[in-house]
Amino acid sequence: MSQHTITYEHSGVRLEEIKKQSPLRPWANRTAKFKLVTALAALIPLLIIAVVYAFTEIPGAIVVVVIYLPMQIISAVIAALLVGGKNAAPDAVIIVLAIGATMLSIIIVASILFTIIIKGFEALSLSFLTQNNEYISPPTPLGYGGIAHALLGTVLIVGIAMVISVPIGIATAVYITEVKGKGANAVRFFVQAESGVPSVVAGLFILTVFILSGAITQSAFAGALAYFILMLPTVARTSEEVLKLIPDDLRTGALALGSTRAKTVMRVVLPAARTGIITATILGIARVMGETAPLLLTALTNDRTIWNPFGDPIASLPTFIFFNVSLPFPSAVSRAWGAALVLMALVSIVFTAARYFGTRKFAKS
Amino acid sequence: MSTAEFEETATATLDAELGQRSPDAKIEMESRELSVWFGSRKVLEGVSIKFPSNSVTALIGPSGCGKSTYIRTLNRLHELIPGAALAGEVLYEGEDIYAPEIDPVSIRLKIGMVFQKPNPFPSMTIRGNVLSGLKLSGMKRPNHDDIVEETLTAAGLWKEVKDRLDHAAGELSGGQAQRLVIARALAVQPRVLLMDEPCSALDPASTLKVEDTIAELSKSMTIIIVTHNMQQAVRVSDTTAFFLAAENEPGHVVEQGPTTEIFSNPQDERTLDYVNGRFG
Repeated sequence: MSQHTITYEHSGVRLEEIKKQSPLRPWANRTAKFKLVTALAALIPLLIIAVVYAFTEIPGAIVVVVIYLPMQIISAVIAALLVGGKNAAPDAVIIVLAIGATMLSIIIVASILFTIIIKGFEALSLSFLTQNNEYISPPTPLGYGGIAHALLGTVLIVGIAMVISVPIGIATAVYITEVKGKGANAVRFFVQAESGVPSVVAGLFILTVFILSGAITQSAFAGALAYFILMLPTVARTSEEVLKLIPDDLRTGALALGSTRAKTVMRVVLPAARTGIITATILGIARVMGETAPLLLTALTNDRTIWNPFGDPIASLPTFIFFNVSLPFPSAVSRAWGAALVLMALVSIVFTAARYFGTRKFAKS
Repeated sequence: MSTAEFEETATATLDAELGQRSPDAKIEMESRELSVWFGSRKVLEGVSIKFPSNSVTALIGPSGCGKSTYIRTLNRLHELIPGAALAGEVLYEGEDIYAPEIDPVSIRLKIGMVFQKPNPFPSMTIRGNVLSGLKLSGMKRPNHDDIVEETLTAAGLWKEVKDRLDHAAGELSGGQAQRLVIARALAVQPRVLLMDEPCSALDPASTLKVEDTIAELSKSMTIIIVTHNMQQAVRVSDTTAFFLAAENEPGHVVEQGPTTEIFSNPQDERTLDYVNGRFG
């Protein structure tokens, strides 16, 4: 006999009940013992360090890392042994370590941001963003003078460095992955080596080869050349990784349509890698934006607003911060914090833009 | 019967076997004693096949017997793989496509290819994909809108995408994407279309659509298709070549001839076993 029956549409009353079902998560139901033990395991270490912190002179960071973390691990293991048995203990340790490490990195970033925002906000005003330092001296109160000249300098230097390094970086990556020329391995090796060049050495190189020889002056362009040395390996290496991810199917597909290799790269491979290449550019910018040492040697600083990238020494946010933070005047230090805040904001704008352009799907006919 | 007469008869018989539809069909392409290497490993040996004009030839055989490698030598994609080498000749309209004065780009333009995995260009729209061959090869053809409609219709995709030609090609399902790349290959008007297991990633309905497309296209172009699907070979092809490679030996053609003959009355025992699904 066949066991074939229709059980859904014609089951009448049952169907009514089935329709009323609401979504549940039975695996989230815990026993009272479990709830109690986990709550205690989380609370007891917190209470102990609260007492330790309140009644001793031990600094907070040490209390957290040296006392709280090991204690939390022990209490998590005890809790795991009580409710889950032997197998649950390693899980508990891993979970505490993972959450601890995550919290630690979040706390570090957050406290840097917090410090910069608190200390920088004091200096922030419209004039701070629109004026230069031409008519003030470091002790001048905060209401006068600003960092517009340094902001412009950073934009100029990074912009020029980007314009030079992005095409060259992409071309390098194309040589390594698409042309696969005889020198590809050597090129990859040297690009990798270049990424190890200390930033101050990049500055020294530009200073001795280009500036002291009289070819160019200390200027935005000189600074951009130093930044270029630092940016190129990041752009080239990241682009290379991205191009490697483009499936070969696309290349053979284009070639099978009678495409030349150049057109395959320009019209199929690079557009397919667009998102990644934008990311490579942004990482390159992020790599250099705060670099101070090379600019001290190549661009120096200036109190005036300089528009000509080939002319005079020029201010930039990192050098502005560097020179002002070491001065014995509270207003100068305050301006340095303000500049740091603006620099951070600039970096986040760049990253947000990268996210936006990088993830949006563009398709052209 | 004189020797000359005998040879003539023999050639006529051979041609009759190869070009089932019309006994005196022109030979569009052929390979003569083609052997292929990857580095020092010989993967194909002495493959001679003639492909009559406007016919469908199926290449069948177990995995790893060199069918895909063979098909890629026919439009000079083989040489893109580092370490690739070959001996023998591949003739297109009687001329050796590996002659030094021949530009591989022009060969690939005349001998199009559809791959096993659908590979639409992700940065382009559906319309852009269809027309990409024109842009990439620099070929000038007027009335792009007509080309898009014609080729997509021929590939059996027009009705599904006509209202979203400007959408990204990435939106399409696997079966649609495969028909899109067929349309793309057709837009440059190749004389020969190589298809490397074009239906292996498709569902049955899409497969049937592609097979209808092949039947339609074969009226005006020569099609060479690699397939693992015996029923498909029977359904779409006029002639069939059976490839086989013994262990650690290069692949070779065991038997070739009209598809009906290969499947109903194979001369070689191994062919019989293979077409009946006893190995491979």
